[in-house]
Amino acid sequence: MASLPSLMPWHAPGTRLLERIDRLRWSAGTCVCACGWRVGLRVNEPALLPQLAACLPPGWRPAASPAVDAVYSLWVARDRGGVRGRNRVYAGGERRASTPDLGHALAVLESEIRLGLAMAARGRTFVHAGAVAWRGRAILVPGRSRSGKTTLVAELVRQGALYLSDEFAVLDARGRVHPFAKPLSIRGASGCDRHTRRHAVEDLGGHSATRPLPVGLVAFTEYRERAAWEPTALSAGAAVLDLLAHTVPARLRPAESLHALARVVSGAALLKGPRGDAAQTAACLLRTVATAVPVAARPLGAGR
Amino acid sequence: MKPLARREGLVVRDLPDETIVYDRKRHQAHCLNRMAALVFRHADGTRSAAEIATLLAEGTPREREAVVALALEQLSQACLLDGPAPVPATARRAVLRHVGLGAALLVPAIASVIAPTPAEAATCVTSCVGQPNGTPCNCFAPDVPCGSATCVADSCNDGGGC
Repeated sequence: MASLPSLMPWHAPGTRLLERIDRLRWSAGTCVCACGWRVGLRVNEPALLPQLAACLPPGWRPAASPAVDAVYSLWVARDRGGVRGRNRVYAGGERRASTPDLGHALAVLESEIRLGLAMAARGRTFVHAGAVAWRGRAILVPGRSRSGKTTLVAELVRQGALYLSDEFAVLDARGRVHPFAKPLSIRGASGCDRHTRRHAVEDLGGHSATRPLPVGLVAFTEYRERAAWEPTALSAGAAVLDLLAHTVPARLRPAESLHALARVVSGAALLKGPRGDAAQTAACLLRTVATAVPVAARPLGAGR
Repeated sequence: MKPLARREGLVVRDLPDETIVYDRKRHQAHCLNRMAALVFRHADGTRSAAEIATLLAEGTPREREAVVALALEQLSQACLLDGPAPVPATARRAVLRHVGLGAALLVPAIASVIAPTPAEAATCVTSCVGQPNGTPCNCFAPDVPCGSATCVADSCNDGGGC
């Protein structure tokens, strides 16, 4: 991984709130680029700068210029008189977190930067989905937070699939999925953010994919106790609607998003249903994508 | 009265058997099956509903008129027509009575979703900032049982904080 350049970000004039934040005493900054999006980070504690690398999205590169499209700020508070100060995270001029826990502040910062990238990445459509690759084709598992995406992705990796992402399927205009191999965020048994642990894919005995791949299977599923994976096939149109519901730039760039999603569904098996045990479901998905000849279900409204 | 489908503010994407229409104004996406899409295309303000019905390839004249009426009603409900549906509302059940079982493909259908905001579509670390007091949250204070925390004045009431 490249080292972070020490470079105080500069951005175009923004809101009054952002100008107020600009006037705080920022003592260190850095500027990086990902998917054509230029982002700046700044902190009031220079010693913290190296830790910010862990908050950056996969594939970031150091930027040569301080001019950025977006700026994120982390104000680290000092404790006073035994009272814990509150660390604050800003996305542009908006306060996103105020917490005495620095780890939480860094987690919010990381999440906000990834969301910013997902909104602004040029030529890429970010869909909230787990993604792995098997025999040259990608399997997408779109879903809401806490629907069991990461659990299923981890199990697919344990069974030999290559890791693409546990959070975003990053699509190009041809509908191919690009690797976005952040560490897997596996929540504790309670499902609580506080007990989330990060695991490199290698910790699971797996490897990341290194090149973009066409989609072979889209599985819309979420965990339900005692459920079995007995999916129904979706039509291409129904699958596009379901994918759109998890597409970050759907409102910002609908034409580009629909173009990418239409390419995804044109060559993939499209299945939907609840799942139970992750290991059994993963085995079924791998069998499906290995043998699938894309057969779209009957279109919307066909039959009764 | 000649029905006119909206053209402004829409993104239209054809799939092999369906058409996706995205409404930029309402941020809704609609999936039109073949029959609904066909009526959507022909509702160009120059043809009456009866004239559109004559363009359909399948079904008896009575079935075609019923199908066009239902499609226009559905397009109107999806805000894809300029103005109201130009024919009296037709219950789906009534149309289905007219359309034979063997002609099931004739029945128009539109499914819709509301497009998410970027934050709705993505994973977020739980934060109390901007949340109403009492909103359940999972914050980061140690030694507090998960699920017991709520937001109060932009912070967690468990002593941790978001």
